[in-house]
Amino acid sequence: MNHQVFDNVLGLGCGVVVLSAVVTLWRHSLIAIIRALAVQGVALALVALTLGLHGHDRGLEVVAGLVLLAKGVVVPALITKVVRHDVASRETDPLVNVPASLVAAGVLIFLAFAASRSVTALTSNAPGRLIPFGMAAMLIGFFALATRRKAVSQIVGLLLVDNGIALVAFLATAGVPLIVELGASLDLLLITVVLRVLATQMRRRLGTVDLDGLAELHD
Amino acid sequence: MSVAHDVGVTGVGVLQVVVIGIGGLVLLGLMRKVRARIEGRVGAPVLQPLRDVRKLMRKERLRPEFASWIFPLAPVVLVATVTVAALMTPLITTHPPLAGGSDLFVVVYLLLLGSTLVALAGLDTGTAFGGMGSSRALTIGALAEPALLVTILALSVSSHSSNFPVIVRATLADPAVIISPARLFALAALLIVIIAESGRLPVDNPATHLELTMIKEAMILEYSGPDLALVTLGEAMRLALLLGVLVNLSLPWGVASSTSVGALAIGTIVLCAKVAAVASALSFVEVFLAKLRLFRLPELLAGAFVLALLGVVSGVVTK
Amino acid sequence: MVGALIGVVAAAAGAALPKRWRVPASASLVLCGCLTELATSIRVLATGSDAHWHSIDLLPFTGVTLLLTPLGAIFVVLVTVVAVPATLYWIGYSSHGASARTTACNYAMFVTVLLIVPAAASVATFMFLWEMMALTSLALVLTDQGRRAAARSAGVWYGVITHAGAAFIMAAFLLLASHSGSQTFVAMTSHARTLAPGARAVIFLLALVGFGSKAGVVPFHVWLPRAHPEAPTPVSALMSGAMVALGVYGIVLFGNVLLSGGPVWWWLIVLALGGVSALFGSLHAVNSTDLKKLLAYSTTDNIGLALLAVGASGIFVATGHGRLGALSLVAAVFMLVNHAMFKGALFLVAGSVQVASGTRDLDELGGLLRRMPQSGALFLVAAAAICALPPLNGFVGEWLLFQSLLQGVNLGSTAGDIAITVSVAALALAAGLTIVAFVKAAGVGFLGRPRSPGANDAREVAMSMRVGSGLLVVMCVVAGVAPMTILSAVERAVRAALPRVGSRSVVRGLQLQLVGARGVLAPTVLAASLAGALILAVSLRRALARRRAVRVVEAWGSGRELVTARMQYTATSFAEPVQRVFDDVLRPVRDVNVSHVAESRYVIESMSYRSRVDDGIERALYAPVIKVIRRWGQYARRLQPGSVHRYLAYGLAALVVTLLVVAVAG
Repeated sequence: MNHQVFDNVLGLGCGVVVLSAVVTLWRHSLIAIIRALAVQGVALALVALTLGLHGHDRGLEVVAGLVLLAKGVVVPALITKVVRHDVASRETDPLVNVPASLVAAGVLIFLAFAASRSVTALTSNAPGRLIPFGMAAMLIGFFALATRRKAVSQIVGLLLVDNGIALVAFLATAGVPLIVELGASLDLLLITVVLRVLATQMRRRLGTVDLDGLAELHD
Repeated sequence: MSVAHDVGVTGVGVLQVVVIGIGGLVLLGLMRKVRARIEGRVGAPVLQPLRDVRKLMRKERLRPEFASWIFPLAPVVLVATVTVAALMTPLITTHPPLAGGSDLFVVVYLLLLGSTLVALAGLDTGTAFGGMGSSRALTIGALAEPALLVTILALSVSSHSSNFPVIVRATLADPAVIISPARLFALAALLIVIIAESGRLPVDNPATHLELTMIKEAMILEYSGPDLALVTLGEAMRLALLLGVLVNLSLPWGVASSTSVGALAIGTIVLCAKVAAVASALSFVEVFLAKLRLFRLPELLAGAFVLALLGVVSGVVTK
Repeated sequence: MVGALIGVVAAAAGAALPKRWRVPASASLVLCGCLTELATSIRVLATGSDAHWHSIDLLPFTGVTLLLTPLGAIFVVLVTVVAVPATLYWIGYSSHGASARTTACNYAMFVTVLLIVPAAASVATFMFLWEMMALTSLALVLTDQGRRAAARSAGVWYGVITHAGAAFIMAAFLLLASHSGSQTFVAMTSHARTLAPGARAVIFLLALVGFGSKAGVVPFHVWLPRAHPEAPTPVSALMSGAMVALGVYGIVLFGNVLLSGGPVWWWLIVLALGGVSALFGSLHAVNSTDLKKLLAYSTTDNIGLALLAVGASGIFVATGHGRLGALSLVAAVFMLVNHAMFKGALFLVAGSVQVASGTRDLDELGGLLRRMPQSGALFLVAAAAICALPPLNGFVGEWLLFQSLLQGVNLGSTAGDIAITVSVAALALAAGLTIVAFVKAAGVGFLGRPRSPGANDAREVAMSMRVGSGLLVVMCVVAGVAPMTILSAVERAVRAALPRVGSRSVVRGLQLQLVGARGVLAPTVLAASLAGALILAVSLRRALARRRAVRVVEAWGSGRELVTARMQYTATSFAEPVQRVFDDVLRPVRDVNVSHVAESRYVIESMSYRSRVDDGIERALYAPVIKVIRRWGQYARRLQPGSVHRYLAYGLAALVVTLLVVAVAG
């Protein structure tokens, strides 16, 4: 692959990963957020595929396929079902309003950029320099976890964190061991299923999937 | 006159201004036509805005009783600023007449001069609508400003210059830069800002005259006759110019690198085709969009800001 | 130094002459002083050689040392830029309650001190002049204190903050002087390099706080919106245009000259202070309805931008990009000079408005452009200049700052890249909000219809007042269309402040050309083509219109016949969208009172809505401090029972303690 095209495609994939993380803070509709998550999964797969093709790493190409399947298709589809069942709440109900969240996202992007300078200084290759994007996606995921109320947003936040970490792993080591990635993906699949069951139960008992509603269980 | 004949700087200037002037009005007609067709209507002819402007030009001039000289001045300034901006932007050729001082920052501030004057004119009429329109338009403008300037920063990271012809020439010399994340993020942010600044959906509905929802139309409600013609012309020229900037930053091919007749002819045709395509696409998307609530707009513009920021970061990271 | 002598004579004339001659004589002497000083500083700037003056007799023990360097000279020019028009303005303005003996004397002294502060070259001289500046301006703020409680309160705030600031500056000077063993700036500069980094940092931070409080930087800005509106108008213009800029001079003096630069983190603090000030000031300017208060907040905004440029310059120099650093500093100083021009003009016209209509409240004004055509036009042009619209001077300043930031990105320093991007965003948002604020000020105040009888009866003010503000507006235009001369002078000054940085000239004929020729601006060509396009558009309208006459019609009022002035947007409603967007930052206080008729609670008798935006920093930072001080004050009152015997006992106790100390130590 042409060197410059490789750089650009890789950068683009990483950019889309961060962008879709930003979009989850940006949009109000839960469906749109899940769609952004799916896009992020695809972008992650693209990054893995590009790295695999460039480094002639068959294992990474397989991982790319798995990531595409799990994070791009299956997980988003599962979460979408949760939302579709719950007609009453299709909008996020953020604790921090959207413009402030976006400004915070900007600050987190800078933080990731500044914090990973010491890492990127060590590597001179193109993938290593893109690590800040993975960190940024992870931080934005954490932010979503902290400031979003709905159970679905929580799952999405968690997945964002996972995707961010995966991206950092891809870029830093040019490929995680296949088995590790598989294990992590399986974990997440499990968590998603558990949360889905939990959400269904919550809806049946409390009539809402608003996590603040859980506080009432305390009394 | 042969194809290789050099028309010189003046010729290029006149050509760019005329193309933006007439092209802008045709563009308005085209966008309305596309919208009408998708909605299942026949729609007015594409050249209708041109005829409207011609008709308005011949009408009597009116002035609200409490207005001052700002009111008649604003349309003239609007047209004049867009004209000067058209003289310094590489639209048809990479060597516009005012290439020396052609800076993205300068273009932005020139356009700002025109819109600020129009906002003042809104207050000058002494009515509720004028004030409402200018207050809202300026709020949007202020919030769009950070996204806009950071976008310029992102566009100029690679070449260390915000000189517009320099950027376009650098892009032509190295087309791979177009699909670099820095450029793409910056262009996405720029698109949102252009939509906000030129009052298209979902920021403002250019077709509405519903009193409480209009923004731009509220500001210019008191204009009629030749003044309204100039305002319409100025707004159309600005839209055409901004879209021209956008296409020349994303797909700079076809921009003439000399000032010979042949190159300029190709440049003109290519520019018109590219802008028309982008405008039709915008118009197509607009059909499916509803106007955002005024107080949801900060979200949109904050999003554009984060996009621009990502542009700068990726520009620095992937240098 | 002849200028200073003339100034002192002017002050004496103001104090001694009878009322009829007082102001004209004193004003003409002040003008002479200004022009003399201007001539000196132009000579310094042209030749690049400093002007010395030393006297051992004027101040006891230390003497007076004056040394006008190019950096000081450009600030003297800045002071004269405001002082000359403000003094002209004063001649006409004095008949509106600014002709008392104390006012005349203090005004002359204030201008004189402003003129020589930038030349002070020893600690004693500097602090003496600096305190004179504070005291004379404090006295001028209190001019109206007999009649207005607001003036008294403003005096207290200003007095406390300015003296606290002076204490910080004094501490910085003492630390530096004790190390170098000499109190002249030249000696201090040469010894400062051998100071420990920690000590240097402490000195710089002390100076930053001290001079920052004078510059009106957040969080020390609270005195600006109180003192500027209360002072007599020429004094407001001088305080906002010139005195506040000297605060920035102090920071540059310490950071770049006395300490010869410092590490990146110093300048990051300066840059952050500047950015926050710019945003805070512009946001509050949008939400102010008092015209002079709006201008005061906007001063915090403009000074913030200049400080941002100073910070960026420091970062560039510290990371080894000296040329860029010089460029940013040129931008900073040029922006300060510009600020003196347009803010001076705006304050002067605001004073004219107050004289003509009896109010500064924008919600009471309107339609002034037709009643005061010349003053109104001057305000509009000055407002366009502060909004950085081409082809005026504010635009050239912001272009320079933007370019210096843009060239500095991607030079290898992460902190620098982040700082620059954030600065560009802050600069942009502040610029956008400034436009909102000044379209509001100009549009609500001068356009549309009058909202009160006072505004309706307003008439054009005296000739000298128009000449004063007009002079400043002319300077705005000249510095925008042909900034070459001023910029060359600013460059000379900056080269003197950053001696190790050989900066290549920005000015090339009619163009401004930056490092590596990548940023080019042709302000004169720009202005000419704008004028040409304007003429073209006007003639287009003329040529195509069938009828030349303009018919005056009633404005559209949604089908209603009676369209009154009360239906217009007011300053408050104009700012409402911005206020709502920044609700979390501004936290406006809104009261809605609904009173019902006695018979039914479903029928409303009257409603009142009140909304107020308070200064959040004042509330969060100063209110607790004031509370604590007040509590201590209560304790201190117990020491003062009013008994003469007790006071004499205090005296005796003090004497005994002193003697004991002497006995033990001796």
